[in-house]
Amino acid sequence: MPGIGSDREQVRALIAGDRAAFAQLFRQHNAAMVRVATGITGSRAVAEEVTQDAWVAVLKHIAGFEERSSLAGWIFTILVNRARSRARVEGRSVSFDAGGEDNSLAAAFDGRGHWKDTPALWEEITPDRIVAGRRMLDVVTAAIEALPPGQRAVMVLRGQQGLEAEEVCAILGINEGNMRVMLHRARLAVRAAIDRLER
Amino acid sequence: MLGLNCKQVVARSSALIDGELPFWEALQLRLHMAVCKGCTAFVHQMRVTRSLTLAAGQATPDDDAALAAVLARLASEGRDAG
Ligand SMILES: [Zn+2]
Repeated sequence: MPGIGSDREQVRALIAGDRAAFAQLFRQHNAAMVRVATGITGSRAVAEEVTQDAWVAVLKHIAGFEERSSLAGWIFTILVNRARSRARVEGRSVSFDAGGEDNSLAAAFDGRGHWKDTPALWEEITPDRIVAGRRMLDVVTAAIEALPPGQRAVMVLRGQQGLEAEEVCAILGINEGNMRVMLHRARLAVRAAIDRLER
Repeated sequence: MLGLNCKQVVARSSALIDGELPFWEALQLRLHMAVCKGCTAFVHQMRVTRSLTLAAGQATPDDDAALAAVLARLASEGRDAG
């Protein structure tokens, strides 16, 4: 993950109107932004609009960026705020709660909390196969896109874009305990999707 | 809390692989895993899941059209017009 130092250089380049610097930043975050915004707005098309608006806002206000967060944290704050207000306008209420108890593995254990069936070893999943076939990554992406908005946002921001835990909490307005619960549940869901593919 | 069961290990598996468990708790998980094939396999699966999640995020799609759209909007709106 880029540190504050490289943030500063990127910001300077953006203020100077450096297109290559913008293209690099764009490629780094755009897909993730669309993914997070789709979870919040419930529509890929709306999410693409919101993301485009967010980029325009980022470039317009880049001179006002103060290093109170990372550049990525600032960009995602702009994005999430815009996506939420767009969802609100459309009468969609979005909560980033962890929700109730997770039961996705309830059937996996016996009464004493021991495995009923031992989990598979996933011996088929090797780095070569992951690189060779996109299928596995597509399954992972599809599983992330099926998550509730909060889990999806945490998975993208923390698990893919590598934002710091405190930043993710600030962007989503949740506490760290909640964030960890959501990250864990999101991983359980993605794990289950991979496991189905393996069987 | 000596002797965690598998369900309790699973509940702490993300914290374990993220290095967020206190030392003694992590040690208890490792002691359990030393004698439990199921939990060893599960924690491995969670690590693989974490890596695949990261890899899926890096497999960036072709964003050129979206980038061009943003640049076109900026050009038409004027960068400093506010
Ligand atoms: Zn076990």
